[in-house]
Amino acid sequence: MLALLAAAPDSAKAALADPKTIGAFSAPRGAFAIIAVLAIVGAAMTITRRNPISAVMWLVGTFFCLAGTYALLSAHFLAALQVLVYAGAIMTLFVFVVMVLNRDEPEPYNFRNIWTRAPIIVVAVGYLIYRLWTHTATLEPVHRGEPPAEFGTLAQIGTILFTDYLFVFEAVSILLLIAVIAAVVVARTMRPEVTHPEPTEEQNLGSELANEPGHGVGGPATVERAGHGHGGHGDDHGHGHGGGH
Amino acid sequence: MNQIPLSDFLLVSGVLFALGIVGALLRRNVLIVLMSVELMLNAANLALVAFARSYHDGRAHAFALIVMAIAAAEAAVGLAIVVGIFRSRRSVNVDELTLMKH
Repeated sequence: MLALLAAAPDSAKAALADPKTIGAFSAPRGAFAIIAVLAIVGAAMTITRRNPISAVMWLVGTFFCLAGTYALLSAHFLAALQVLVYAGAIMTLFVFVVMVLNRDEPEPYNFRNIWTRAPIIVVAVGYLIYRLWTHTATLEPVHRGEPPAEFGTLAQIGTILFTDYLFVFEAVSILLLIAVIAAVVVARTMRPEVTHPEPTEEQNLGSELANEPGHGVGGPATVERAGHGHGGHGDDHGHGHGGGH
Repeated sequence: MNQIPLSDFLLVSGVLFALGIVGALLRRNVLIVLMSVELMLNAANLALVAFARSYHDGRAHAFALIVMAIAAAEAAVGLAIVVGIFRSRRSVNVDELTLMKH
């Protein structure tokens, strides 16, 4: 952003030369500069925080700033969706997962085998520095003329999604369905495989009383209590236990 | 009045993307790695929306919407995998997930 400030005189001169080019520091540009600086600060804090909850909160701030950026770009519906979907839904999911598995990390940064990843990092940081260094705002202004009245509204996006890109829309809906099912399957099936080996069907049917202690280990408490309380119906509970996972 | 250069938006988008790459490659906590991926998707979205405004093309908004849906699916599956890994390994450190390495 220092480069952005340094670029102001150039663009001011350009504005004097040609009134259609970029002005020096108009009100929207000032607002955009504040929002952009906040977004970048939030992103930098996100990737440097040691506590995952702080990282999530900074990332929520970045997403709010991006929603403001979308509003500056006349993308009102996307700005609303950014707040609803990203800051609302996705980051809530992150908060819940952080709550489930909050662990202090003794060493947050990963420098092992750094040389395999160093080229990408060098290119990314080098590009960042290059862009900040050479930023002169010479491209055309983003607000070139007035857009059509329906630009960025829900009606326009809906028309586009349901006519030209109907297949993409349906494919995304199927993808979301698959993702939901996959999330449930992945989050559920890991548990019995690692905590205790599942008793086979023959063991359950054959000698239920002999299997009772091994059966109860690591299983849910309700199943364990039910199995001990009603020894005669151990077979039924064993069935429910095996099928439940 | 409305005079913000397109290059400013692309600069912010590039900076956010670079920060996302650095975070995804340097952090050990897999949650922060996932957050960095979300950051990169948002940077791409910002570039899409900026070009949409510049060229008065609403189709980019539809694509940004689809990118959001993909990001939601990615977050759901990724976090489910993280929870599953944490249950079996009691760790969210990407360095310790070397099951397929050897």
